[in-house]
Amino acid sequence: MQEVIRLEKVKLWRRTQEEFSYDLKKTVLSIAAGKYRQPAKKLVLNNVDLVVEKGEKVGIIGANGSGKSTILKVICGILKPSSGKVRVRGEIAPLIELGAGFDPNLSVIDNIILYGVMLGFSRWEMKQRVGLILEFAELEDYALVPVKGLSSGMVARLGFAIATDVQPDILILDEVFSVGDERFKQKCQYRMQQLWDEKTTVLLVSHDLDYVKEACEVLIWLEKGEVRMVGGTDEIIDLYLISSQTKKSTIK
Amino acid sequence: MASTLPTHRTLSMIQRYWELLYVLVSRNIKVRYRGSLVGIYWSLLNPLIMTGLYTAIFGATFAEYFNNSIVDYVLAAFTGLVVIHFFNGSTSQALLSVVENGVLLNKIRLPMSIFPMSMVGANVFQFCVGMLPLLLIVTWLKSHSLISLLALFLPLISLVWVCMGIGFLLSGLYVFYRDLGYFYELVRFILGISSPVFYPAEIVPEAVAKFLILNPLIPIIESIRQISLSGNLPELSLIGKSLISSLIIWFLGWSCFRWWQEQYMDLL
Repeated sequence: MQEVIRLEKVKLWRRTQEEFSYDLKKTVLSIAAGKYRQPAKKLVLNNVDLVVEKGEKVGIIGANGSGKSTILKVICGILKPSSGKVRVRGEIAPLIELGAGFDPNLSVIDNIILYGVMLGFSRWEMKQRVGLILEFAELEDYALVPVKGLSSGMVARLGFAIATDVQPDILILDEVFSVGDERFKQKCQYRMQQLWDEKTTVLLVSHDLDYVKEACEVLIWLEKGEVRMVGGTDEIIDLYLISSQTKKSTIK
Repeated sequence: MASTLPTHRTLSMIQRYWELLYVLVSRNIKVRYRGSLVGIYWSLLNPLIMTGLYTAIFGATFAEYFNNSIVDYVLAAFTGLVVIHFFNGSTSQALLSVVENGVLLNKIRLPMSIFPMSMVGANVFQFCVGMLPLLLIVTWLKSHSLISLLALFLPLISLVWVCMGIGFLLSGLYVFYRDLGYFYELVRFILGISSPVFYPAEIVPEAVAKFLILNPLIPIIESIRQISLSGNLPELSLIGKSLISSLIIWFLGWSCFRWWQEQYMDLL
C-alpha cells in the first residue's frame, strides 16, 4: 500500500478567540498604560501522528472543539503546524461548505469559473467544463443569472456540481451534506459513490455516527486535540459511545 | 463518470497566481460595474468635479505660479488628482481585501497576497480605460513626442508599486486591528493635503517642506507633471526618484505582509 498522508508529531498553537476584539486603539492605550501582554495562545493539536494509505476511507470523530476540522485544515495546507511534519501526496479536493466561495453578484457561469480557478484549475479548462456542471446542477436556464437570484437549494446544487466535477486523489468532507430535493439527493449519492472508488482516499468529519459507520473503514477518535484512539469503525464507535455515556452520567 | 474530462491540475505556481489574479480582478470589475463598461466612466467624474472645484476656488489666486494660465492650473490640478484618486481608491479597497475573503481562506488554500493584488489590479484596469487616455492626449498635445508618451508609464508604474506596497501593509495590519480604517482615513487625508495638488509646491514653508520627503506620492506627481505638462524631454532624475522610493515602499509592504502572514489564519 502506498501512503498518501503522513502527519508526524504535529502541534498547532492558535490565538484564542477573544483576541478578535483587539483593535489598534486598545493596543496603543494598553501599551501606554504598560498593561500590554502578548496574546494568549492555545494548543489545539497536540502531537498528532497520522498515516493514511491510498484508498483508505477514514472518518474522524470527536466532541465539538476536539480539533476535527483543524486536522483537515492542516492536511489541506490551510493551516501550518507550529511544529511537526505534514506530508501529502496527490491532489486534494476539499468538498467545502457548499457555496462558500460564491459571489452573489456574479452570474452562475462566472462563479463556476471563479470557483474552479480557486480550486486549482485553469480558466480554459473550466470553460470546457461549464456545460457539464450546469447540466448536472440542472441550471442550464440560469447560466447568466446572478447567484443571488437563485434559491438556496439551487446554490447548494451548484456548489456540489462544481466540487464533485473532479476526480481527486484525496477527497475531504467536512460534515455530511444533503442537497436539494429527494430526487437530487439520489443523484448526489450516485455521484458520491463514483467518487468513492477504490483509488480515492477519503477523509470525512461527521457527527452522524450512522453515516460514519456506513462510509468508513478506519476511524480516528480525537479528544482535546490529541488522538485518543485509532482503529476499526465498529470498535471505535462502541468505545466512543460508552465514553460519552459515562460523561453524561457524571453530568447527572 | 464524475468528470468526462481528464483533470490537469499541473499549473505552475506562477500560472496559478496569474489565473487567480485574472478571475479575481474581473470579479472586482464586474461586481463594481454590473457588466456595463459605461459605469467605469463614472470613476472619471470625481477627479473632474474636484478639478473644477479647485479651479473655481484657487485658480485665480494660484495662476501666477502656473505661467499666469488658468489652463495650466487646471491641468496641474487634474494630474495631481488623478494620482491621489488612484491611490485612495486602490489602497482603501485593498485594506479590506484579506479580511473580506476570510471565509474563503478558511476553506481553500490560496495565496493570500492575491487579494490586495487583485484590488490594485482592478483599479489599474479602471485607470487604463478611464484616466490613461486623457493623460496620454494631454501629454501628446503638450510635447508632441513619443518619448514623453512612453516615459509617462514609468511614474505610473511607480504609482502602482506604491499602492501595492501600501495595500499589502494595510490589508495585513487590518487582520489584527479592525479599527484601522479610521486611522487610515486620517493618513490618507494627510497624504492628500501634503501633496501639491491644488496649490503650488513653492508656497510650502521651507521648514515644513523638509518633511514632505516622507510623502511617496510627491515624486510621482512631480514626474508625471514634468513629463506630460512641461513640454520638455522627460527628466530622468525625477523618474528615478519616483521609481526608487516606490520600490522601497513595495518591498517594505511585501516583507511585512509575508512576515505577518503566518498569524492571519488565527484571526480570520
